[in-house]
Amino acid sequence: MSELIKVTINEQDFEVEKGARLIDVCREKGFNIPSFCYYSDLALQASCRMCLVRIEKMPKLQTSCTITCTDGMIVTTQSEEIEKAQRAMSEFLLANHPLDCPVCDRGGECELQEMIFDWGDVEERFTEKKNVEPEKFLSPIVANDPQRCIVCKRCTRVCDEWMGEDAIEAGNRGVNTVIGTYGGWLNCSQCGNCIEVCPTGTLLDGVYRHETRPWELDQTITTDVYGSDGMQLSIGSRGGLVHRIVARDRYVNGLNGEFLDVKARFAHEFVNHPDRIKTPLIRYKKGGKLIPATWDEAIHFVGQKLTESGKNVGVVASPRLTNEAIFTLKRFAKEVVGTDNYAVSDRYDLSVFFDNLSAPLATHKEIRKAKTLVLIGGEPEEEQTFTAKQMRQAVRNDGAKLIIVNHTPIRLSAQASQFIHINPNSYDAFVLALTDSANDDANAKKLGIETKDLADFRQTLSETEGDTVVMFGGDLSPQAQSVLANSADAFDGTNAKVLFHPLPLYNNSVGANDLMEGKKSLSEVLKNSKALLIGGSLQEADTNLLANKDFIVVQELFETETTKYADVVLPAASFAEVDGTFTNNTGFVQRVRQAIEPVNQSKADWMITTLIAREMGADFGYNFSATMVFKAIADSVSAYEGLRYPALKDESKPVQVKHAISAKKDLSKEFDVLKSNVEKLSDEANKLTATPRVGHKLHRLTTLTSKTAQFHLLAHGNPKPENLLVSPLVQFNLDGTPRTETADAAAVGVTDRINLKVEY
Amino acid sequence: MSILSDVFKSTKAVILGMKRTLSEIPREKWTVQYPDVPVTVQPRYRGQHLLHVDENGKEKCVACYLCAAACPSECIYIEAQDDPRPYEERVGRDERYAKVYNIDYGRCIFCGFCVEACPKDAITHGYNFEISVYNRADLLKTKDDLLITKQKQSKNYRVALSTEDVDSEYKEVDSVGIKFRL
Repeated sequence: MSELIKVTINEQDFEVEKGARLIDVCREKGFNIPSFCYYSDLALQASCRMCLVRIEKMPKLQTSCTITCTDGMIVTTQSEEIEKAQRAMSEFLLANHPLDCPVCDRGGECELQEMIFDWGDVEERFTEKKNVEPEKFLSPIVANDPQRCIVCKRCTRVCDEWMGEDAIEAGNRGVNTVIGTYGGWLNCSQCGNCIEVCPTGTLLDGVYRHETRPWELDQTITTDVYGSDGMQLSIGSRGGLVHRIVARDRYVNGLNGEFLDVKARFAHEFVNHPDRIKTPLIRYKKGGKLIPATWDEAIHFVGQKLTESGKNVGVVASPRLTNEAIFTLKRFAKEVVGTDNYAVSDRYDLSVFFDNLSAPLATHKEIRKAKTLVLIGGEPEEEQTFTAKQMRQAVRNDGAKLIIVNHTPIRLSAQASQFIHINPNSYDAFVLALTDSANDDANAKKLGIETKDLADFRQTLSETEGDTVVMFGGDLSPQAQSVLANSADAFDGTNAKVLFHPLPLYNNSVGANDLMEGKKSLSEVLKNSKALLIGGSLQEADTNLLANKDFIVVQELFETETTKYADVVLPAASFAEVDGTFTNNTGFVQRVRQAIEPVNQSKADWMITTLIAREMGADFGYNFSATMVFKAIADSVSAYEGLRYPALKDESKPVQVKHAISAKKDLSKEFDVLKSNVEKLSDEANKLTATPRVGHKLHRLTTLTSKTAQFHLLAHGNPKPENLLVSPLVQFNLDGTPRTETADAAAVGVTDRINLKVEY
Repeated sequence: MSILSDVFKSTKAVILGMKRTLSEIPREKWTVQYPDVPVTVQPRYRGQHLLHVDENGKEKCVACYLCAAACPSECIYIEAQDDPRPYEERVGRDERYAKVYNIDYGRCIFCGFCVEACPKDAITHGYNFEISVYNRADLLKTKDDLLITKQKQSKNYRVALSTEDVDSEYKEVDSVGIKFRL
């Protein structure tokens, strides 16, 4: 608790913390101060001049967003003088703002609208003609109406500070200031955070464009289904259709405030996509067609076939499913089949991390406040976007030290205080070097770095005064991960706390790892079993192992590579249609809430598994309620002990599961593997020097993202290269080669959007 | 009571009733011979809604949902649609229009709030008042029933001139169609 000082606001005395921002203090104490450009945790702007207050002994009205409270300050927030200034300000804002609220998508949740309702005059005194500028698309998913802009520059600051991309900037000066982009299109990862923070309808969601109005939508707070950060978001649905996804209100502040990434925000079209599997499908003969069937028929058929297979049934859960679904699949394997053949179809196994975990998991807040961040492998900007944002802000706003160890110069390395550019596949050598300082020369040679780099790295760690967060993920070999996770003491600095942060790839990778305790590897399960129950499709590379099985049941949303091998496909419900929980990469268990009724005939994954189990004579006692499934999880998994849905109700206070912290283990076996791996490394490796394209993983077309038309534009380049842009940074010619010349800046107009045809 | 007094009483009642009836016969008649003769409605009569179009036949409605928001009986259902084509090819006047515009006349209470809420003067009350149908589902009117270019106007009404006083019942007017003498 820092020092308290006395501030008088509107003749009332308050004690506030020293260094507090005046606008925050006034709002906290219940004095309404209007503002557009002020946004907590962003650089100060003071351009809207709505937050004016009178401070005694200061000559003019002051902008409260730039004033830090001082002792004995006497502030007036409401007076005739202030109101006159504010009303004049809002009149100027409207001088050029078109009154097209009925058409504008922001209408109804527009901060300018609300402000003018309080501070605007009924009559407009400006009779001059307003500037008219054509509406345009800055990218396939960001629509721009320049005339509505009030130049608060929130979008430019967010783009700079949160994303570090500087794709959107203010141009010109004074009254001619416009928000623009370089070359007329957005060179960025298309996160859409500029849309979220825009107080007016200047930047708008191109996917949700003109679909409905905000007050017509039912808002359901739920969790992101793409990233492992577990970002809290709000689904806007109407009449069984998911129309849009926005972040939570920044004043309520879930985990991520108003931050979302491109997939979380825009890739929701799959929920109501016509390609969804509508009814259960049965393939009666191998090589035949999948034929629609009723639920009763399909469940009966599945029960009969799985009973015939006896103990040779394997169970595979996707890390995309809810905790409830994964747990039910495990119970099915354990209790109904009576086998240990169950696995998670993740891209890499997290259990090596959690089995050897020697320090607690870092939450996103701790990452933001950390003093030293160590990132070994991985690319959070493309895969764990919110973690990347927290890292960047920690570096930019709080001066944290970021050390990046990577084989590619990822974009985040621009922010790093030390970037250790190692040879490809030499992470094992780095882990060895970390635990053993005796062989620095040899290890540095294998890594392709100077010995001094390792010494600098150690020095930064030892000088850290505050938390150190160590992040690593699937780029490292399992042995390297277990050694790293077990060596918290290697990162110890002076009075520092060491925290670990895994970099899982799916929304529920961590939950799947927690609940599938005692799981086997996927290939083992696929080889050992004759029949399979698969919840959620496998990675495409794994599907060849599905050939020549007796019987395969798949619970899926869409027809995928996996369903080609399936004998029965059961339509599962997507995340917007079920109740449940996801566990994110910081161990927070967060609710997934049902926004719409399951589309077509689909059912929640856990319910399908329960139905099959019931057909085979086992009763899980769920009474078809997700609450009961979660209760069963809490009762049988120690990390989730005592949790109930009501305890997870408040998104701003997420509950962290208790991952066991293991003591220092004897990992000589792992070390031996590492050493032999390192010996095999050649000293003459070529380093990768090209920074990967922005969005090279974010914009990839997957089963789910490919259902949003705009992602095809983002991923495949431009259908009309002359003036439409698509993928950030790179434009494509029609023959697929990248384009080099710059596009005509203002060419993306209304007429071009008509020609925007999406090819599937 | 005797039968006589019963007869007397009922006869008296009949005579009193007939006295009233007969005295009305020579008086002026107020009955409108609808549907043979059109009914006169006030200029601001609130009948079935009309969705208007501009001078080029483009729908004025931009699907802003304000009418639906203002509606106290929640009888208006709208689905908006983006229409980025140039003005000449558009359905509506602006680049956003109502793909679906339904009014459920089983619920509508003809309060006129929707008309007041409309920022584009796209919806007004028309004069059609014969909305009864044989099937309750038919009370749901779609955009095709409501558009001014498509709605069939009944011949059974006549809008009063603005100078006409249709409110006061006991006035003498000589124009056709207001009063009819037998």
